[in-house]
Formats: sequence, C-alpha cells, structure tokens
Amino acid sequence: MKTVSMPLQTNTLKLTLNSSPEVLERVLRVARHRGFKVELMSWHSEQSTLEITVSSERNIRLLSKQLEKLIDVTQVIDLTEVNQEKRA
Amino acid sequence: MAVTQLTQAITMRGADLLVSYLKKEGVDTVFGYPGGAIMPVYDALYDAGLKHVLCRHEQGAAFSAVGYARASGKVGVCIATSGPGATNLITGLADAYMDSVPIVAITGQVPSAVIGTDAFQEIDVLGLSLACTKHSFMVTDKDDLANVLKQAFTIAKSGRPGPVLVDIPKDIQLAEVEAMIEISTIDKIEAAPLADLKAATELLLQAKQPILYVGGGVGMAKAVGELQKFIEVTGIPSVTTLKGIGAVPTTSPYALGMLGMHGNRAANLSVHDCDLLVVVGARFDDRVTGHLETFAQKAKVLHLDIDPAEISKLRQSDISICADLIKVLPKLSIQLDIKEWQRQCWDLKQEFGTSYNAPFTTIYAPQLLRQLSDKLPNNAVVTCDVGQHQMWVAQHMRFTRPENHLSSSGLGTMGFGLPAAIGARHARPNDPVVVVSGDGSFMMNVQELGTIKREQLNVKIVLIDNQRLGMVRQWQQLFFEERYSETILTDNPDFVMLAKAFDIEARTITQQSEVLGALDEMLHSDGAYLLHVRINEADNVWPLVPPGASNADMMESV
Ligand SMILES: Cc1ncc(C[n+]2csc(CCOP(=O)(O)OP(=O)(O)O)c2C)c(N)n1
Repeated sequence: MKTVSMPLQTNTLKLTLNSSPEVLERVLRVARHRGFKVELMSWHSEQSTLEITVSSERNIRLLSKQLEKLIDVTQVIDLTEVNQEKRA
Repeated sequence: MAVTQLTQAITMRGADLLVSYLKKEGVDTVFGYPGGAIMPVYDALYDAGLKHVLCRHEQGAAFSAVGYARASGKVGVCIATSGPGATNLITGLADAYMDSVPIVAITGQVPSAVIGTDAFQEIDVLGLSLACTKHSFMVTDKDDLANVLKQAFTIAKSGRPGPVLVDIPKDIQLAEVEAMIEISTIDKIEAAPLADLKAATELLLQAKQPILYVGGGVGMAKAVGELQKFIEVTGIPSVTTLKGIGAVPTTSPYALGMLGMHGNRAANLSVHDCDLLVVVGARFDDRVTGHLETFAQKAKVLHLDIDPAEISKLRQSDISICADLIKVLPKLSIQLDIKEWQRQCWDLKQEFGTSYNAPFTTIYAPQLLRQLSDKLPNNAVVTCDVGQHQMWVAQHMRFTRPENHLSSSGLGTMGFGLPAAIGARHARPNDPVVVVSGDGSFMMNVQELGTIKREQLNVKIVLIDNQRLGMVRQWQQLFFEERYSETILTDNPDFVMLAKAFDIEARTITQQSEVLGALDEMLHSDGAYLLHVRINEADNVWPLVPPGASNADMMESV
C-alpha cells in the first residue's frame, strides 16, 4: 500500500522555469523538503531550463508533481522515463 | 491566457495604486499594523474609504485575514511593515498554507537601493516566504505592481487556494506609476478532462461497503451543495476530517462524524471495514489515518481532488479525478445498492453515540459545548484554538457549513481562535461569532482583546480553563509516565479582570448548575463577553488513537 518508500533511485528531471531571481531556490527547497538529494544539476539561464538529477527512496512522481505546482515551473519532463521509453 | 483591463488615466503613487486595486478586487476590509517601510501604504489608506482593522500584533492580523477568508469564502488581506512586521506574519501564512486558505499578505520592504545591505529592518522576506506560501513576489519594477497584485489574487483563489505574499520596497510604494496597465493573468490549473468518470462510476457500482471520506477541499471548492446531493442520491455513509466538518449535515442518517485520532469510533470502524474509500478533497493526514498501512486496508481508493500532487501521495489510489468538485460530484451521483452496509453503519453509529452523563457537579466541557451548540442559530461562526477544547468543539458541536467552524487544522496553531473570530466578525457582521479557547492558547494572542475593544466587536469568548496545557498534559499522562513537564498553569492571570481591563464583560463559572444561565447571559449580552469556565484538569479527550496505532484500536479511557 505504501507509495513513498522504494529502493534508492536516481532520476533526472528537465524543468522549464520562469526566470524569476528566486526560482532556483524554489526548486531546490522543494527537492530537499520532499526528501530528494540533488546529485547533479545544470542551469541554463538563457533558456531558463534546469536539468536536475536527484536520488531518493521516494517515488520521483512525488517530486515532479510538487514541482509542477510551483507557479514559476512551466514544464517538468522526467528524462529517465523518456530514456527508458527510447530503450524499450 | 485571459487579458483584462484596469482602466485609470492618471499616474498615482504605487501605494495608492495598491489601495485602489484592493478596492477593485472587492476587498472591503484589511487587517494590519503600520511601520516605517509600509508608511506610504498607510498614508494611502488614511482617506481611501477602505476599512483597515488595526490588530495588535501582525500574527493577529494574519489570523484575522484567515478568519475573514474562511468565514466568507473571499480572499483575506493583511498588511505589515518590513523586518519584524513581516516575520510576525509568518505563522499566519503557514497556517493558511496548511489549510489552503486564500489570503494575500502585503509587506513593506526597505528601499530597493539598500536591499542586500542589512539595512534597518531589512530581512529577506521573499526567502522567508518560500516554505509557507503558495507563491510570493518581490516587486522590483514599479510598472509591474498592478500586474503582480492581479496575479497574487488570482493565484490565492485559483485551484487549491493558498496564501500569497507581495513584498513591496518603499521606493516603489512612493513611485509615480502609470495606472492604466494591461494585466495578463496566469491560470496554471486547467480543468482536467473527466476521462476517468466511467471507471469511477464502475468502482462505485461494484462497491458493497463504500465510505465517503470528506475533507476541507469540499468547502474550499464551494461544493457543499453538490456533496450533499451526492450523499442523498448514493446513500453512501460518510466520515469527515476536522476541516470537513459542516460539509455533511449531521442530520444525514449515515453521517458517522469525524474520523481519526480523536474521531468517532463508528467513523473509524466503518472506514476500517469499507471496501471502497471515496476521498473527496482530503489528503490522508496522519492525524486522520493513524497507522497508514492499516488505514482502510481492504479498500480500493477513489480520490477526487483539485490538486494532482495529493493523488497517491501517501496512499495509492485506484482511480483519481483531478478536477473541480462542483463539476465531478454531480456526474458521480448515482444510486447504489448498499442497504446492508447502510444498516451496519447505522448500528455502529447507534452503538457509539455520545453520552453526556457527568456524575459530578463541576463542569463537563463536552456537555457545555453541546448546550452552547444547541443554543446557537445555524448561522453562527465558532472559532477555536488548539488542544483538548478544540477536539471537544469538533466532537460535540454541530455545524451546517464548513464556513461556520474555523479550526486551525493542518498547522494546529495555538492563538488562532481570537484573531480568527475578529476576521469572521468583519466578514459576517450579522452572524453571531463565538470563540472557544483554552487558557494556554488564549494567552498566545490575548493582545487582540485590544482590537475587540477598539472595533467594539460583538465577539463571545468561552474560555475553557483547566489550568493546564491540557492536550500536552494528556499525552504526558498517557505516554510520558505522568511527568508533567511545563504544562501546569495554576499561575494564570485573573481572566475576568483581564477582560474587564478591555471593557469586556466577563464572568467565571465552576458548577454544572450555572452553565445554562451563564450561556444565556453571554449570548444575550450586548457586546463582547468572556465566559470563564473552570473545569477539572484531569478531564481528557476520548476516544483516542495512540500514536502509531491503527484507527481500529482506540482507547476509551485511561
Ligand atoms: C503555537 C503552538 N505552540 C505549541 C503547540 C503545542 N500544543 C498543542 S495543544 C497545547 C496545549 C493547549 O492548551 P490550552 O490552550 O489550554 O488548551 P487545552 O488543551 O487545555 O484545552 C500545546 C502546547 C501548538 N499547537 N501551537
């Protein structure tokens, strides 16, 4: 029944953001608070896109849905999912 | 993307634009406290014809805005200065965040030029706001002010509502701004297609033992009517959360009352036995579920909520619909064949009904609250604080609308009751407003008696005094070997004298025989009134699900 706990997993999300000055803080705060450790990230301020690799025992959907709620987040794509689909 | 026009020809100060914008939004009352960095706004308020209520602490202003919003369904507004003014708002914002209450907080900020220099009363309010608001803005361009304000209100009330903060540097409040600005609104939450309606209907039809689990989302969505129709047509037995109270008529035959830690035994047992849990505007809070793995263990889950992030957050749902409850509920209002289950729930309800037998002469708070409830008209608003008295209000008073029961639920903030009542009184000046508080909580925003005096507010206060931080004391008794660490308040002030210092009529009662007369005296008094009720410190809230236990294992007494 429990949806939160799973073996440690690493996922990469690609976010498209509004370019407000505090937008990175918003994203990182949600990631930390919801129990995801940031492993790697790359921020392109010109396109306002952020690729962020996180690890957690929690389902990545819990994070992506919380990020989608942020007003300054316009799109969330799970690259791990996309890549898996490509491989399949 | 919708585009609306704000038509005004001349230029004006940013502060004046703010005030005229608030009026355009239909705001009639704001709650706040002045200071250096917000002075231009207070100057604009001076003769603007917008009611400003001077609270006596910014936390009071924030809770009053919450009370106003929750009692009326409109957006509440609070205003504070930079630094300490803004930090004092934080608890109120957090409370609104946890209970999804639409409020807009306006804070003054030091002038743009000195931001980041540790100027006098400068604090990074935008940074502070991140964890306790739905969204927040710091205005950096004077020409952006109107747009930001429009967005703030839209965000506060759209989708799952919540608090929004707008931090305005002083120079922007003073700057001349062009008032005719085209405003674009964002609308992130788009109505989801109701694709899963068919699957949801099937789930409902298959269920033999369905339970409706009603949360605060129903009231926030203003879908109480739709929910009641749904209950009427389906005949589905229901349970409610603390915030869901009032959404289901207590007269409804299969309304089993509140579930969870201090819920009704019938509510918890029927959830435990159900084969389908229909979750409406609720979020599986730990105070509701108890031990999550054993909560409604045998049930499939049909989850209806506006917030996609709540779906399968804690409990995997079988079918979910993320859309406006007003639209979804009528589509699911179908007849069900659940006679046997209804009877079972009815029997449980009879078996675990409340009894008010109090074989002593001192006052039994649950009974007093029931008597108070019986005396209040249906339009009365009751606010409460946090602790044992809060649970007694939820268990023993009757509500016909969620807007009539204002209880700090998600955050559980002591000090909520009195300022929330002040907000409710302004939102609904023709409806009786009663605060039920505890001797601990009352002292947390006791300064708001000053606001009651200043505004001559007819607010009735029932202060349940056990000379203890009762709820904590109860846990110390049950789970910490009766080691009563810092919960004994035998040194409380003289509450009657305290009330009188604010010109508020007051009286103490200690015996059951005094209760009915005292309640009448309070309710028939002209203005504000404080009824100080002494109760026995050993009275506990029952039943109780011990922390970590299953809801099926409730304790009934020590
Ligand atoms: C701001 C805040 N601080 C601490 C707590 C923890 N707390 C919960 S209930 C409670 C005791 C409340 O006492 P009182 O207001 O007298 O109510 P009673 O339980 O006695 O009815 C405390 C300290 C809280 N909920 N909120």
